Amino acid sequence: MSASYKLLFIGEPGAGKTTCIGSLSDIAPLCTDVHCTDELAAQKESTTVALDYGELDLGDQSRLLLYGLPGQARFKFMFDVVRENLLGVIILVDAASRTALDGLGETLETYAADVRELPSVIALNKHAAPSAGLVEGCEALLRQHGLVAPIMAVDARRRADLVRMFDLLFVMIEHGSESSAQPEATTWH
Amino acid sequence: MALSEAGRKLCAEALDALIARCDGVSAAMLAFRDGRPYVERVRTRADHGKFAAMSSSLVALGQSVLRELDAGTLDHVLVEGTDGKFVVSSIPGSGGLLIIAVLARRDARLGLVLGHAKSCALAVSSAIS
Repeated sequence: MSASYKLLFIGEPGAGKTTCIGSLSDIAPLCTDVHCTDELAAQKESTTVALDYGELDLGDQSRLLLYGLPGQARFKFMFDVVRENLLGVIILVDAASRTALDGLGETLETYAADVRELPSVIALNKHAAPSAGLVEGCEALLRQHGLVAPIMAVDARRRADLVRMFDLLFVMIEHGSESSAQPEATTWH
Repeated sequence: MALSEAGRKLCAEALDALIARCDGVSAAMLAFRDGRPYVERVRTRADHGKFAAMSSSLVALGQSVLRELDAGTLDHVLVEGTDGKFVVSSIPGSGGLLIIAVLARRDARLGLVLGHAKSCALAVSSAIS
């Protein structure tokens, strides 16, 4: 019997959500990008305004449905569109940005209450070796928002990195109650 | 496309005209395609930022659906519920920069709401070009 699982990608604008879904999806991803009209245009040409959608074949007649939400808080209502039956959440961070922690802070400010009960992973994108300071900053933000999540460096363009991230997420899903009992965030390098 | 202060005033007048001519309109807004308000006339307690963001999401989803189904380009998106009607459309001639969103009461006549929304969109198009 076939089954499908829903996975959500969130994170600041430019963190790599659209790239991530594009790298993983077996189908042509559905994108709702438009050209930026505000200060974000200095950093990137376009931004997602509804959602990204892709699908990944898991090989055992099951599929992973990949949803990405816009990074701006004003689109938070889209979470209600995708929240039902979510398996887990990938929180992407632009680790190469000098304002990476601000970006993660804004994301958690917007979504922490919604993702607290879901298995989640912090994915540090765009930097092969994120600094200890950044990782510690992420851990502090997670604690501040009452979240428990592993932190790992990924390259959103590399499928192998993303598969590693999913493996970790699935371990957490399998052992959900145990991981949520951990007192602090776990860092995976 | 740069939007001037004079153009903004004309856009506001176009929204005023829409509300004056079309019974039952409770909110009309011009928003940027990436979901920020530009000019609005809102009689409801709607959050302006959310209103603009939802409008841009609907336009983007409508365009995506039509593209995926080879069904041409978007004219408008209509969402009709038990207590209201919501129409959203791109402003012609703005290069996709602006969208118009109109919320009307349940008893408003759909044909009139659509017609006046299109007329307003054309007036806005002239104002900013």
